[in-house]
Amino acid sequence: MSWSNVRLIFCREVRDQLRDRRTLFMIAVLPLLLYPLLGMSLLQLLQFVRQRPTRVLILGAEELPDEPPLIENGRFARDLFAGDPAERTAASQLLRVELASAPSVPTAVQAQRALAEGTAHVVVCFPPGFGKRLAAMRERLAASCPVEEPSRREPALPQQAAAAGRAPSSQSRSARDGAETPQPSAVSRARIAGDAAAPPEERASADAAAVGTNTAHRASPAQAAAPSSAATLPEAGELPRFEIYYNTADDKSTLTYEVRLAPVLQAWREEVARRNLAARQLPAQAVRPFEISEHDVAPPAHRSAGMWANLLPFLLLIWALTGAFYPAIDLCAGEKERGTLETLLSSPAQRSEIVWGKLCTVMLFSVFTALLNVLSIGLTGSLLMSYLPHVGPPPPLTPLWLALALLPMSALFSALCLALAAFARSTKEGQYYLMPLVMVIMPLMILPLAPSVELNLGNSLIPVTGVVLLLHALLQGSYLEALRYLAPVVGVTTACCLLAVRWAIDQFNRESVLFRESERLHLGLWFRQLLRDRHDTPSAPAAVFCGVLILILQFYVSLHLPTPQSFGEFARAAVVIQLAVVATPPLLMTVMLTRSPRSTLLLRLPHPACLPAAVLLAVALHPVVMRLNVVVTELYDLDDRLAASLGHYVSQAPSPWHLLLVLALLPAICEELAFRGFILSGLRHLGHKWWAIAAASFFFGVSHGLFQQSLVAALVGLVIGYLAVQSGSLLPAVCYHAVHNGLALFSSELAARAAEAPLLGWLVSRTPGGSCVYNWPTVLAGFLAGCVLLAWLHRLPYARTEEEQLQEAIAQHIGPGTPCHS
Amino acid sequence: MIHVCQLTKEYADLRRGKLVALDGVNLDAYAGEILGLLGPNGAGKTTALRILSTVLRPTRGTASINGYDVVTQAAQVRYQIGFMSANTGVYDRMTAWEMVEYFGRLYGLEAEELRQRMEELFARLQMQEIRDLLGAKMSTGMRQKVSIARAIVHDPPVLIFDEATSGLDVLVARALLRTVAELRDCGKCIVFSTHIMREAEKLCDRVAIMHRGRILAQGTIEELRDVYHERDLEELFFRLISAHDAGETRQADAEHTARALAGAGP
Repeated sequence: MSWSNVRLIFCREVRDQLRDRRTLFMIAVLPLLLYPLLGMSLLQLLQFVRQRPTRVLILGAEELPDEPPLIENGRFARDLFAGDPAERTAASQLLRVELASAPSVPTAVQAQRALAEGTAHVVVCFPPGFGKRLAAMRERLAASCPVEEPSRREPALPQQAAAAGRAPSSQSRSARDGAETPQPSAVSRARIAGDAAAPPEERASADAAAVGTNTAHRASPAQAAAPSSAATLPEAGELPRFEIYYNTADDKSTLTYEVRLAPVLQAWREEVARRNLAARQLPAQAVRPFEISEHDVAPPAHRSAGMWANLLPFLLLIWALTGAFYPAIDLCAGEKERGTLETLLSSPAQRSEIVWGKLCTVMLFSVFTALLNVLSIGLTGSLLMSYLPHVGPPPPLTPLWLALALLPMSALFSALCLALAAFARSTKEGQYYLMPLVMVIMPLMILPLAPSVELNLGNSLIPVTGVVLLLHALLQGSYLEALRYLAPVVGVTTACCLLAVRWAIDQFNRESVLFRESERLHLGLWFRQLLRDRHDTPSAPAAVFCGVLILILQFYVSLHLPTPQSFGEFARAAVVIQLAVVATPPLLMTVMLTRSPRSTLLLRLPHPACLPAAVLLAVALHPVVMRLNVVVTELYDLDDRLAASLGHYVSQAPSPWHLLLVLALLPAICEELAFRGFILSGLRHLGHKWWAIAAASFFFGVSHGLFQQSLVAALVGLVIGYLAVQSGSLLPAVCYHAVHNGLALFSSELAARAAEAPLLGWLVSRTPGGSCVYNWPTVLAGFLAGCVLLAWLHRLPYARTEEEQLQEAIAQHIGPGTPCHS
Repeated sequence: MIHVCQLTKEYADLRRGKLVALDGVNLDAYAGEILGLLGPNGAGKTTALRILSTVLRPTRGTASINGYDVVTQAAQVRYQIGFMSANTGVYDRMTAWEMVEYFGRLYGLEAEELRQRMEELFARLQMQEIRDLLGAKMSTGMRQKVSIARAIVHDPPVLIFDEATSGLDVLVARALLRTVAELRDCGKCIVFSTHIMREAEKLCDRVAIMHRGRILAQGTIEELRDVYHERDLEELFFRLISAHDAGETRQADAEHTARALAGAGP
């Protein structure tokens, strides 16, 4: 590959994009205009929301107590609002009050009607006798006052207040009351505390707004009849109660109640409690027994780091993706439309040079778009921050970390966008691919926002997520933590970038992609064509379809199978999945879509030494796989219950043969028919043996369901795939798979026996948990033996597909000796 | 210079199944001559020339240019050819000079050599006026000139023109044909596809008549006239194509009858 050509193509593409006014507008002008405009609109909107008055209808206004007043001069009492006098006046004016007497119809009906008609945003209904009951309670409290001794009164308060705050059951309350001296004053203190410290109860009643007659209403005549006796004070559930009706489906109603009215009512209740305490000659501190002093140890510069660490990476990546997408569409699909792609393809620039040149261009625009957007957001945000006093500026090194994280992410997004754009026939078609791409990448960006997802080795190996987590750590000032996981994040991101670039180059090499013509949609014709134009082995799309079909079927069938209770049920479920879901689709597709089931499913006899080699390979790699399992479960915690349930079924098996049959032999046959048979045969038409093996292993891995299992299975799939390709037969693959599964089933027992055997003791060691693991020397020896066997397999001549032969012929002629022009 | 042997290209078609765009085409072209590829629309001319320019790969058969195989040595082949077709457009947001310079540099020409070559080309093709004009503002004739300059900037031994005069007015077309003839005189091997008989008569040293992916006749125009006893090339062309279509129809009828008889048998 000539880097001077890459640079040449890059410079041309950049110049071309810069001469496009639409691109310039999208990338440079829009962000500079957009955020100030958005900020301005936000301020306007805030102003609009803040200044718009809302209406509260008060039914049964005549039942309100005179002291302390809730309503003064037709508005909520100014003293109930927070802030300085001017703010209180402004806030009280935003809640317009309409007073009405108790309705003739049930209050719930009246309130719902008012909300539905929009005449009120919140309706508050005071039942008959509400004010009188409050007053009566205060009188009773005042009357019982002289009985209490101050020295006994004080220590009891916090305990009882807390007990009342927890809304105790009537049994526990009566037990406590019984344990204490049954003096009326002590009881009355509990009631007061309970009344003052029970906002959850009030909220519950308010949320269940359509509740009809309440207990307070029913209890009132009895209490009114005995106002002077402390013993007849109402129970907690019989306290005076009023109803609030609001509509959570209506934002304005929710805002009116939750933001404006609820604090006012809370303040009013506290005022009532304060006066009750005063009547009982108790200080207001009785219901506020202690203060809490908060200290934030974060340096001032990092105060808002958490918020910025969540917000900035997300914005940055979204814009990096958007900034990559549109230039990529223009550079690929746009060139196809304008007819210049063929000009370029017939020039001496190699496909890889074209892709790298375009990739660098797309990446430049991606980086530039993201930076400009974040910069513009920062500028607007810093202005807006003066309106949000509790939000501080981002940490000082933020631009540096963002810029560092942006480069690999832009490279990855650019390569993905380029490959998709190369596939698109026109810019219009290209636009359609944005949403699927976002749907794939978005979960990886959002995952790190979950508090339980933290930067560790396992998460750092997830593409995109790893970078976001690393950026989080850097923005929050955890530099050492970030440094620890820098290598895996960079490694995974680089690998993903190279894979994506390879994919893009592959797209540029496929004439079916470059010269795709629109075809009418006709399912009947398409199906007929599939049956008519069959080849000996399936096509690559058919193989991919088969893989996806297996995964989808597996998902739905697993959902519908009941959780097994015994080994019998477990075995039945396993057999159903293997036969119906894994084996049937590829077998049916082989019959329908191929001319030679023998070639497709590799039903040939291999080289005679291949079978023992496969068995030996499985045995040799067994310690390696077991160690890999341990490493993977250390990286990604496995739910203990899952492991335990599998162990439970295994222990219930009637005999080891049953286990071997259900969990080793059957999966070996069914899965090999599917993944190394139909799918691998189809994928080999891609022209690259290793691509085919890797893709088949991917499907094989994902079909294992559990992520931890999938990871190891995919790696094992690579070995089995190689075995199948080199031997040209499915038998060695089945042998390997069966031996591998068999050894895994009895691995713990094998390891335990080896640990106890006098000569084999050095092979394994016991962990503190009591389980056995293979020692590193054993693992290394197994690995080396495996490498020797694989090297032997490598020397076997294997049958190449036409596409593979072509690619090899091309590769032979592309070398450093490629002549320049003559 | 160009050697094409049993070149076949097949596409999958939803309705017709396998669509054979090229069916065992054999061609040879040599330095200092213009090989005219004549054929109606859909004859397979563009497919054949796209394979020669390494943009497409053949399903079967081989093609080599100056000894390099178009499939396995595509990169080397691209240095040997200048390819111009109705599908090889001009960049809208580049001037004529920038466009030719860009491709010259892609062909590996040194800066000074390229500048001299471009000055010479711009003078020869009378392109000085459009030197700084953006592609988007050029007329069809101007674009064709830029395309020619782009195709020959590296002075390749083989030139492939695919319906290069389509859409051009008489004046521009004449100028283009004159340029092609000059290039032939410079010793280039030129393949010139067209469906305009007069162009072929005036320009081509040899012609190959293509129809439905096959070469129906090949030779100098005089040879064809003598073999088919027809002086008028257009008439000759029409007769060949009509005879081929009639032959195919007869063959299809015979196959249909054979199938019907086989179906009626015991």
